Amino acid sequence: MDRGWYFRLAIVIGSSVLGFLALWPSLDRWFPCPDIVKETFDNQINPGLDIKGGLRLMYEVEVDEYIRDRRDRLAEQVQRQCGVLIGIVPEEEVDEIDKATLEEIRERCKVERVDKDDGAIRAIRITFSNEEDAKKLSKTWVKDYFRDLRVASGVGDLVVDLHMREEQLTNMRETAVRQSERTITNRIDNLGVLEPTIIARPNDGDIIIEIPGAQETSFERIKSIISRTAQLQFKIVDDESDSRAIFTTPPDGIYLNADSQTYAEAFGEDARDRLRAYIATLPVPDDHEVAIGRQDPDPERGGEGWRTYYMYRVADVTGEDLDDAAVGFDPQSGSPEVDFTMNTRGASRMADLTGRSLGKRMAIVLDDRVESAPVIQGQIGARGRITLGAYLDRNELLQEAKDLVVVLQAGALPAPLRPANEQLIGPTLGQDSVQKGGAAAFVGVVLVLVFMAVYYQVAGLVADAMVLLNLQLLLGIMSGIGATLTLPGVAAIALTVGMAVDANVLITERIREELRLGKSPRSAVEQGYARAYSSVFDSQLTTAIAGIVLWQFGTGPIKGFATMLLIGIGTSLFTGTFCSKVLFDWLVRGVRVQRLRVG
Amino acid sequence: MEFIKPGTYIDFMRYRGPVIAVLGLMATLSLASLFYPGPNYGIDFAGGTEVQLAFNDETVPAEVREALEDAGYSRPDVISVEGKPNEYIIRVREVSSLPEEQIASIRSSTMAALGEGVVQEMKVSPGGDKITIRVSGAVHEQQLQEALEAGGAHVRSINSLAGSRDPRYEAHLVGVADELAGQLRERFGDRAPDEALRVEWVGPKAGEQLRDAAIQSLLYAIAFIMLYVAFRFDLRFAPGGVIAMLHDALITLGIYVLLQKEVNLTTVAALLTIMGYSINDTIVVFDRIRENMVRVRDKSLRELINVSTSQMLSRTIVTSLTTLLSVSAFFFLGTGVIRDIAFALGVGILIGTLSSIFIAAPITELMDRRLFSRSQG
Repeated sequence: MDRGWYFRLAIVIGSSVLGFLALWPSLDRWFPCPDIVKETFDNQINPGLDIKGGLRLMYEVEVDEYIRDRRDRLAEQVQRQCGVLIGIVPEEEVDEIDKATLEEIRERCKVERVDKDDGAIRAIRITFSNEEDAKKLSKTWVKDYFRDLRVASGVGDLVVDLHMREEQLTNMRETAVRQSERTITNRIDNLGVLEPTIIARPNDGDIIIEIPGAQETSFERIKSIISRTAQLQFKIVDDESDSRAIFTTPPDGIYLNADSQTYAEAFGEDARDRLRAYIATLPVPDDHEVAIGRQDPDPERGGEGWRTYYMYRVADVTGEDLDDAAVGFDPQSGSPEVDFTMNTRGASRMADLTGRSLGKRMAIVLDDRVESAPVIQGQIGARGRITLGAYLDRNELLQEAKDLVVVLQAGALPAPLRPANEQLIGPTLGQDSVQKGGAAAFVGVVLVLVFMAVYYQVAGLVADAMVLLNLQLLLGIMSGIGATLTLPGVAAIALTVGMAVDANVLITERIREELRLGKSPRSAVEQGYARAYSSVFDSQLTTAIAGIVLWQFGTGPIKGFATMLLIGIGTSLFTGTFCSKVLFDWLVRGVRVQRLRVG
Repeated sequence: MEFIKPGTYIDFMRYRGPVIAVLGLMATLSLASLFYPGPNYGIDFAGGTEVQLAFNDETVPAEVREALEDAGYSRPDVISVEGKPNEYIIRVREVSSLPEEQIASIRSSTMAALGEGVVQEMKVSPGGDKITIRVSGAVHEQQLQEALEAGGAHVRSINSLAGSRDPRYEAHLVGVADELAGQLRERFGDRAPDEALRVEWVGPKAGEQLRDAAIQSLLYAIAFIMLYVAFRFDLRFAPGGVIAMLHDALITLGIYVLLQKEVNLTTVAALLTIMGYSINDTIVVFDRIRENMVRVRDKSLRELINVSTSQMLSRTIVTSLTTLLSVSAFFFLGTGVIRDIAFALGVGILIGTLSSIFIAAPITELMDRRLFSRSQG
């Protein structure tokens, strides 16, 4: 045998060993797996909801937060439109009102958001300072510009209350739940082949998620990925206004920044909560807000630190305009971070925002936390990054960066989720169904093996060896990526085995044809392979194309199906053509069989 | 061993007429069956009722499942709750949906009883187990219950969420869950649960998002497969493979529908598998035709199809047989869902094998006659 053959043999044996090692952690129960293998391949095959059960989570979508958010945006628009109403700005400039003009409008007609005592958040109040302006507002004006609002009281008076329309509220509740479902599905899809069940119930405003498996640690991670709102916002920090007037004398344990007194900081374990409580007491103007971010730890004052940022409320750029996110590394410190790209709209808004705020600081706010607030040195376009700070250890930072990428790619939840219920549940199928399914898979594979050996004799045995190798690689890859195996999945694998012998059948039939023409075993094998390759590749590639498309566009179970299909095609191509050739070559060149028994 | 003797030549194209007629009829019937009687959607697509209950004494999931199946529920999910012995989540497809007229009458009687402008929103859950009412101001639960009952609703209890952040009232109605509890009481006597801990309508697992994604990805898949075939073979081959693939999926689904088997997410997976098998099988036959087109120049495409298909017949039979062997193991040994999938796959493999020969190849010949004038022989 030549060196090329030994090299190919090494690849076959190597992949088989690798496949087995990857599979080993899943076999731990029957065949104890050494720790070193477990550490290298830290995933295993995850039994599906139907076989093993899992964790059932119920989240309530905080629909009212969604409605509040919409209401706030509407209020902003109403304020601007009022400028047109009272004749300060022309109609066509309504979207480009500058700060000073906005102040001017606000003096004559102030728009406020009103939260009612009964908990209903749907009101916007306009207060005019003179009757002449107030007369200009009519029901038709509201109807023309704001289809979602209706006048609740006070047309012609100085104080006018606008409410959101009831049917609009109903729509919003539905939308909030549907969008949350979509986002959660995408996030879980990003995590791999998990085969969860996700059921949205817009009427009740909740979502039920069932995650298969039994690993506490992975549940915790999945839960944090699901429930994270991932609202990314870019806001300008206001260091110019006199924030000393805002930061009233803080209670003990909260310090005002020594030199400028433009922010407050606190240290220690509950520092964040204490700061939050303090902020709630501050007289913050309507167009500003105070948010919290990390501060360098100070061991003398209690350890981990948090500080406040005083910034404008309006976010000119948000995560909605995000195009993609990826884990990156800081070029200087090498510490993990998240790099992102904006879409065209986001990029132009970002360029706009940074262009007019040179020298100021831009706060990158994720949910309720300021991740960083770099000084804007020059105009920024489509690319940016989120530094995660150096307060965690490297592995934690890396995990944090990966999780952040998962949620950013899937988009923000339209509203926060509140965990309502959590239960560990048993399998949906009975023990007997699972056992019968397993037995059927075994019998099915054995039937195929026996048939091939009888029909194709030696070539059949080669095919059988390939079927077993294929099965081992397939399960090894599934284990390596932590794929979920459901009972229908078991059936699909058994069928894959049945279909994978197709490559062997095609090749063997070709070898038969060549032998009939009187060729020697050696050249029959060479010719058989050479001729069969095109049909094997074309047929598998066409199916693979379908698989790639399903993977790209499908969600949930369709994506899971596509993943398994693609893995199956990969392993059958590898075993059916490459590996089987090594065995055949050994037969005709090493053993030099005089007659190749192919049935 | 050889099923087909070497050198066998069968004039497949001669029989294409009758076979196409039969397959065409089956495809048409299948298409019609989607409208009437229509697919029997399982809980994955249709949603259902979820009941959580606790038995008073030792039970195992298998006997609860058996009891429900005997009571006429098809494939109920009986899921044990870990850490709480004898507590189960039961999911059945049945819902107690209210007829439109009744909803209207409940609505009008509630509006009338509570007064104009008080009821801001009233929604009946699709499962007919709950009415959610949002009102302005406070309403007496008693008053609400009477108003609903005057409209003909069987109210079990009223749950006031007036103090919550999303103030509303929920009226739970008598329905499937009560019926189910009654049936369990009959079977288990004292062991049966006193009453349901929780009754909820659950929406479909496969909602709009999945449907949209499925349709979108299927259309793209068809486009890309056609592109690939047109590129690797030529334009004549492209439509045949895709039509045969859709044909196979359609007939399998049709047989499923005509037998009124439950259509679930696993059925979708089975259909996708069949499409994969079908296109795979077709391409193998195409490949031989392509090869012979280059080697044999003096024959018509019709003859080439016959020769190629005859040469490939042995392989076609062996491959269908091995797949059918593994599928039949699941059909004869499996239960429930597994058995249904095995059935679908078995049908699909048979139809898929036939369609490669009698649908895909003749369409290619037809395309050839349209596009080229090669096959005049």
